[in-house]
Amino acid sequence: MTSEVRVDYQTDPSRYRHWRLAFDGAIASLTMDVAEDAGLRPGYKLKLNSYDLGVDIELHDALQRIRFEHPEVRTVVVTSAKDRIFCSGANIFMLGLSSHAWKVNFCKFTNETRNGIEDASRHSGLKFLAALNGACAGGGYEMALACDEILLVDDRSSAVSLPEVPLLGVLPGTGGLTRIIDKRHVRHDLADVFCTTTEGVRGQRAVEWRLVDAIAKPANFIATVRERATALAAKSDRPEGAKGVVLVPLERTIDDTGCRYRHVTVDIDRARRVATFTVKAPMEAQPRDLAGVEAAGASWWPLAMARELDDAILHMRTNETAIGIWLLRTEGDAAAVIGVDDVMALHGDHWFVRETRGMLRRTFARLDVSSRTLFALVDGGSCFAGTLLELALAADRSYMLDTPDDPTLAPRITPTEANFGWYPMIQGKSRIARRFHDETEPIEAVHAIAGQPLEASEAQSLGLVTMTPDTLDWDDEIRMAIEERASLSPDALTGMEANLRFGEGETMETRVFGRLSAWQNWIFIRPNAVGEKGALKVYGKGEKTAFDWNRI
Amino acid sequence: MNGIDYSQKIPNNVNLSEDKTLQRALEHWQPNYLAWWQDMGPDGSHGFDVYLRTATSVDPAGWAQFDYVKMPEYRWGIFLNQREEGRRIHFGDHKGEEVWQDVPGEHRANLRRIIVTQGDTEPASVEQQRHLGLTAPSMYDLRNLFQVNVEEGRHLWAMVYLLHRHFGRDGREEAEALLERRSGDEDNPRILGAFNERTPDWLAFFMFTYFTDRDGKFQLCALAESGFDPLARTTKFMLTEEAHHMFVGESGVSRAIQRTCEVMNELKTDDPALVRAAGAIDLPTIQRYLNFHYSVTIDLFGADQSSNAAIFYSAGLKGRFEESKRDDDHVLRGGMYRVLEVQDGKLVEKEVPMLNALNEVLRDDFIRDSVAGVERWNKVITKAGLPHRLTVPHKAFNRRIGTLAGVHVSPDGRVVSEAEWNANETKWLPSVEDRAFVASLMGRVVERNKYASWIAPPMVGINRQPIDFEYIRFN
Amino acid sequence: MNATDAGRADALRQHVIDPEICIRCNTCEEACPIDAVTHDSRNYVVKPDVCNGCGACVPPCPTGAIDNWRTVLRVDAYSVEAQLGWDELPAEQALPPAEGGAAFAPAPIVETTSASAAPATATPVRGATVPPWSAAHPYTNLYRPSAPVTATVMGNFRVTGEHSGSDTRHIVLDFGTLPFPVLEGQSIGIIPPGTDAQGRPHHARQYSIASPRDGERPGYNNLSLTVKRVTADHDGQPVRGVCSNYLCDVKKGDTVQVIGPFGASFLMPNHPGTHLVMICTGTGSAPMRAMTEYRRRYRERFGDGHLTLFFGARTADELPYFGPLTKLPKDFIDIHLAFSRTPGEPKRYVQDLMRESSASLAPLLSDPNTFIYVCGLKSMEEGVLAALRDIASGAELPWESLADTWAREGRLHLETY
Repeated sequence: MTSEVRVDYQTDPSRYRHWRLAFDGAIASLTMDVAEDAGLRPGYKLKLNSYDLGVDIELHDALQRIRFEHPEVRTVVVTSAKDRIFCSGANIFMLGLSSHAWKVNFCKFTNETRNGIEDASRHSGLKFLAALNGACAGGGYEMALACDEILLVDDRSSAVSLPEVPLLGVLPGTGGLTRIIDKRHVRHDLADVFCTTTEGVRGQRAVEWRLVDAIAKPANFIATVRERATALAAKSDRPEGAKGVVLVPLERTIDDTGCRYRHVTVDIDRARRVATFTVKAPMEAQPRDLAGVEAAGASWWPLAMARELDDAILHMRTNETAIGIWLLRTEGDAAAVIGVDDVMALHGDHWFVRETRGMLRRTFARLDVSSRTLFALVDGGSCFAGTLLELALAADRSYMLDTPDDPTLAPRITPTEANFGWYPMIQGKSRIARRFHDETEPIEAVHAIAGQPLEASEAQSLGLVTMTPDTLDWDDEIRMAIEERASLSPDALTGMEANLRFGEGETMETRVFGRLSAWQNWIFIRPNAVGEKGALKVYGKGEKTAFDWNRI
Repeated sequence: MNGIDYSQKIPNNVNLSEDKTLQRALEHWQPNYLAWWQDMGPDGSHGFDVYLRTATSVDPAGWAQFDYVKMPEYRWGIFLNQREEGRRIHFGDHKGEEVWQDVPGEHRANLRRIIVTQGDTEPASVEQQRHLGLTAPSMYDLRNLFQVNVEEGRHLWAMVYLLHRHFGRDGREEAEALLERRSGDEDNPRILGAFNERTPDWLAFFMFTYFTDRDGKFQLCALAESGFDPLARTTKFMLTEEAHHMFVGESGVSRAIQRTCEVMNELKTDDPALVRAAGAIDLPTIQRYLNFHYSVTIDLFGADQSSNAAIFYSAGLKGRFEESKRDDDHVLRGGMYRVLEVQDGKLVEKEVPMLNALNEVLRDDFIRDSVAGVERWNKVITKAGLPHRLTVPHKAFNRRIGTLAGVHVSPDGRVVSEAEWNANETKWLPSVEDRAFVASLMGRVVERNKYASWIAPPMVGINRQPIDFEYIRFN
Repeated sequence: MNATDAGRADALRQHVIDPEICIRCNTCEEACPIDAVTHDSRNYVVKPDVCNGCGACVPPCPTGAIDNWRTVLRVDAYSVEAQLGWDELPAEQALPPAEGGAAFAPAPIVETTSASAAPATATPVRGATVPPWSAAHPYTNLYRPSAPVTATVMGNFRVTGEHSGSDTRHIVLDFGTLPFPVLEGQSIGIIPPGTDAQGRPHHARQYSIASPRDGERPGYNNLSLTVKRVTADHDGQPVRGVCSNYLCDVKKGDTVQVIGPFGASFLMPNHPGTHLVMICTGTGSAPMRAMTEYRRRYRERFGDGHLTLFFGARTADELPYFGPLTKLPKDFIDIHLAFSRTPGEPKRYVQDLMRESSASLAPLLSDPNTFIYVCGLKSMEEGVLAALRDIASGAELPWESLADTWAREGRLHLETY
């Protein structure tokens, strides 16, 4: 399975095939009801509430809708419309048919979405209850693990399980292994038993082993769900009576030359395998007060820009795998960017501002885990200030134009408060703290001049940019840097960049994207999984897997 | 950007007057270069008017303009051979593709390394030779030394041009470093070993220009094949100048031999002591100098098996000598080549992949070329009616680089014991006493048409001038 | 074609390399524009049937070994194989008497209109080897003998009088869509079809271009040549110049094989206010016609720059382009015609006319905007230079430094054969 047909991450509830979204005051229900024949690609049926990327794109959209369009929602109940089945996880036949790249991208996106559930709980006061009304296996249980609470129906048959290892010869790669240990604190030996037991664990034992928070008899199930959802809602600080912001469809065109949105354009140079992302500062006056921000809604620049950038990243990641270098550029008035940042700073506790900053945080974080080389180009007309400076700080390298002969043409970067904690990376640190390894002196040096536009030489001496070629060198220097990069092994670069980007400090997310994904991606290319007699390939065919028994 | 009138001061065919990148780079570099020349250029020579040729363009008429010049005022220029339209890379994995006019980012590091290594040898040899002017055997020879020196300087300019034009800030830093390293400086040496040895006397100088500048020729020939067109065009033009340096060496040694033969015939002797007493250099000493310079120079071609050589070739950066005249697929995958190694105390040949053996291929081409010149020296001896012959030592003799390093091999190719080596070293290589003797002959002779006792006059003058022409005005 | 300075049709001034001085550095082989130098493991040698004596290899030679010449009978030319076997140069041999015992002819056979000058000997005055500073950049050697370009004959007209003994032709060649950019003063080579007596293909013969850069017909990809039919050698013996007879007989629509262009210094300046002094004889008029025509077409670009022409022939009838020349405006060009064989009149040569024009020439000689072009028979060069020297000294101009300046600044161009 390849990406011949472009995958589109934009959808809306009226087009959902696999989920139902219902609202009842502070409690929303997100009900999985996967349409068997509506797989994203041909060749497999999505039986037993199993999912593929298409199902997860809808889940991602649903979470966005709840965040922005339904500020009144405090608890989301995630459940299933299928009888005695909650979710049986990622579709195995889909995995068997998929290319390695597809599998890796699929896992990355589903991980980001699961992380997003926890992010919403942590930052937005949106609580999640997994209401397991039936069997919950593999990716289904991993989705449940992302929720704040797991309630399992105690019908003497429904179990939670992670059968990947014994059944498929791969890992539960969507955070399962990480979360049972790191989050749910299941004892490692019990986890070992659990993860090698095809049929899983049910009933009281599931509670005792901390695999679920509670169980309920079928007769009490609905009432228990209601009760626990209400209790969770009490922990939320989501506003009452706030009016939601409708996420209108993005205006965009996507073709072979790239994609164009209002504030973001991506231009692809196929011959050089380079895409240039250009993010524009606000072009129109932006609201200075909350009323204006609420009135602007989805057209408010930071939200509109973030949604566009997020969509562009997802599109490029999924559909343009051969474009290995992303150049990050900005265009426009830095003052306009700082103006918006000021408003976001002033009203940071307002739900909509908070959600918008959350959207930016997740979008920048998506950039961090993208397996592409990121070079920021700080040239004439750019506006790397505050929120947009995060792009340069996220880059593997940043090149800033020095114009010693004509200071009037000098581009400037402006660090602001926004760069000191608004947009933590997945290891929980600001990009500046990451940049300077939490060392006080360089961080404070930048902090002390926050708000001041810096020319190349100042930015260089503060350590905020990588190189500062001058006007005469710029074109050649950039060209050679790109060509040199483009000639290196894409696999080695992916590995190198991932190792250099995050620095010290581990979180569940870093372990998911680091340890878990790295092992999973390795297993995904091993013959024991994907060889002719590999476990993924023979699954469901009645053949026996043939393993190479050497431990590596 | 002021202070330098580029077109006047720096003859060039690279459109310097409109190339801001280059001007900016040269604005810093040129004064530093002149300072380097003042410090490290020929000792005590800055006031002389020297009859030098200067290249003012690349066509046959323009590149050899002769006139009296004070060396610090020499117009070091920047010249590339004319661009050949439609030129294609003709070897390696990129064979058939258009040549590159700009550095491909993929090969930036390797190209920079090649250019810096080549560039470093140019000022190095000027430094090595800076005191020779004090002991010149004639005005004619002194002029030739100076010509070699200014042209090595120009070759430095040629390499610096490439660094400045094509390698951005890195290139400028490397260009500065070329002026900062010093031949023989323990803390800050030149890159290649042979370029840190002193050139103590004129016989050594002639041997150096014969053998070591010939290494330069072969390296330049290999680079003149490069897919990076500016490098190919630059080195092609350098080759025309390099030819003069080899001429100085070949004719210098030849004239020393001629003089020795004359003395041997006059005295009817081949006793080295008598020859020495008559103020000429005995043939065995010349043979030992030859052995030394030959073996040190063939080390310059690098290890006999080298992955770098394979990479440079396959990437289209550096070809073989006369690549386009060779009759093979110019990709060389699967080809084999014989190299030497020592097994059980004997030299044996071993087949290795040709791509990895390209240093050895170039070394063998060099050897063939060198041997032919030594045969021409022998003709001088034959013509004098003497039976003696000079020979080049075995390829494995006195090697310091590659698999043969550390193995004791006699000039005739026998692996010998440490004891045998030690017993014969002074027969095979110049001894301290040899060098002291040669040094004792190095008095300064610079009156017109006068020659030191150990060297014959040249057969022809420079630029069709008579040999008693006033090649240098000492003022 | 080899240099013909030997002065006899059957003789050759053969270019050879001294194996005792040569260091086998390959520079000559690299420098030769027509691949006339080759080598084996022993010697570097010059192919006698290819070398045209252009001298491009001489300055680059580090040793001087390249600058050796032997006058031999063509049939006795040292072959490549013989030269490869040399340890030293053979001594110069006296030539046997020519057929019929005739004395040496005073001038070489005119087979080309502008063979490149052979390497200069120790003449006190040398022409420039560099073009004027404002000359357009010439293309050279776009087509080599191994890959000539085909041109189509668009016309072939006689430009000397019907009854003149000299049949000189104006031949127009068109290159269709193939590039053949030329400048006034450049020449091209024509390869005659067929083979010589030994069955080898003929060598190319060089001819100066007689039309301006933008075409014989402006805007067309064509050019013209001035070719004199060679029917006799210098002794008056009948001889058929292979290439000139071939060219004089081509008809409209015929195709010819062309190589070149050649020449990078005998070029005209392009800046306003420049004066051209053109001195020529016979078919040496070709480059002068080209320059004159270019200046006429674009007269307004050259401000008050003035042209002066000294043109010699035996008779008015033999003067190519006599008719059109006389129609040019006097304020554009001063024309001085010299005829050496007009019955009943004293012989007059171009140098005589120059001396007579001292008054107008002297100010031109001291003007830094003056460029002097000499093209024609070798025998005229000395006389012309002497006339220039006399005019200069008459005007108290320092001749030596003047000639030196002209050479260095590309302002005195000699092309004689």
